[in-house]
Amino acid sequence: MATTTATLTLSSTDLLSDELALSTTATLTTAGTSTGITQASGLSRKTLTYGSSAAIVHTALHRAGDYTADKATKVYIKNVSTTASEYFTIKIGDETLGRLYAGDWTFFPWAATSGTKETFAVTVGGTVAAGDSWEFDGITTTSADSTLNNFAAAISAQVYPNWTTTVSSAVVTFVARYAASDGVITGDTAITGDVITDLGGSDLTMAISGGTAGAGSSSPSDISILPSVHTGMTYETMLIHE
Amino acid sequence: MATTTAAVTLSSDLLSDNMSVSASTTCMKAGTEGDGLDMMDYGYIDIPTGDEYDLLDANNSGLNTNKANKLYIANHSTDETFYVIVAIDGVIGRLYAGDWMFIPWGAVDQHDDIEITANGGTNTLCYALFHEGRTLTAS
Repeated sequence: MATTTATLTLSSTDLLSDELALSTTATLTTAGTSTGITQASGLSRKTLTYGSSAAIVHTALHRAGDYTADKATKVYIKNVSTTASEYFTIKIGDETLGRLYAGDWTFFPWAATSGTKETFAVTVGGTVAAGDSWEFDGITTTSADSTLNNFAAAISAQVYPNWTTTVSSAVVTFVARYAASDGVITGDTAITGDVITDLGGSDLTMAISGGTAGAGSSSPSDISILPSVHTGMTYETMLIHE
Repeated sequence: MATTTAAVTLSSDLLSDNMSVSASTTCMKAGTEGDGLDMMDYGYIDIPTGDEYDLLDANNSGLNTNKANKLYIANHSTDETFYVIVAIDGVIGRLYAGDWMFIPWGAVDQHDDIEITANGGTNTLCYALFHEGRTLTAS
């Protein structure tokens, strides 16, 4: 069994009239047990830089959907900046935790409560011809022959930046990689950004279904950070989880 | 100026090689490098099950907001199944018996109270808030 410890020391000789010397060590265990926690992601280090005219936006640091919710997960984040006025604003979901100033670090438990991943299905229908294509999420799939199921399989075999897929006969089911509320589905008939190219005029159809029921919702637990300045600010982070 | 140091060491044998991460910071007022946080609230409290309680009140405390406040909470319960859910409007996470946390706290508005819900039984918490002072209101 792995043994992971987190030791905190708070000390000051002049904050109080007496010396402050607080030290505590936690042995990190899985939720509700004395069994040591066994997985870690990190340690990672990254510098966030924005152009002088660009908007500074929140960067997702840890996505709740990648981890099991309501466990004894711990998060460590450090602002490596050495300029005293520079800080990261730490958010969990929509809630602001606080500002992490230069040199500061934080260590806290994380619920990792995920939202709902958007999902929908595309059914390859009509008649497909070699050379017909379908584009979605920046990926274009071109049919090699006139078999509907083969075209569906080819679509599913692609690697999409924001979606995972499965295929059954002529139906390809898409599931978003991350939970979000501002997805591409507007109902059972509309999908943002898909393009059918029907070279032979062979009535290829790509019917959308399940979109209404498969709408996503944003995660209330994703951890994001917002640097205070455009110039490079560096953070370090690590996740210890189950 | 007070000098308060917060240091953390994370060490483990869960990887194939030993892991050791250490960090230390001197708790400064927001945006300064020579002016340390000089106010502290400290508490040791039992939290019963059944309700969500405000451990610290962001709205009525007069605490200066969006500063470099630091909050330490430790769960001194000894039953490993006991935990408290720590929330700032939304849930942050579960602090199990023996665990501690150390976070910046913006305390920006009335939604930013530090809320605690005990589970398993009455949990005993120790907490310390290092901050930049309060704007007090006459009673």
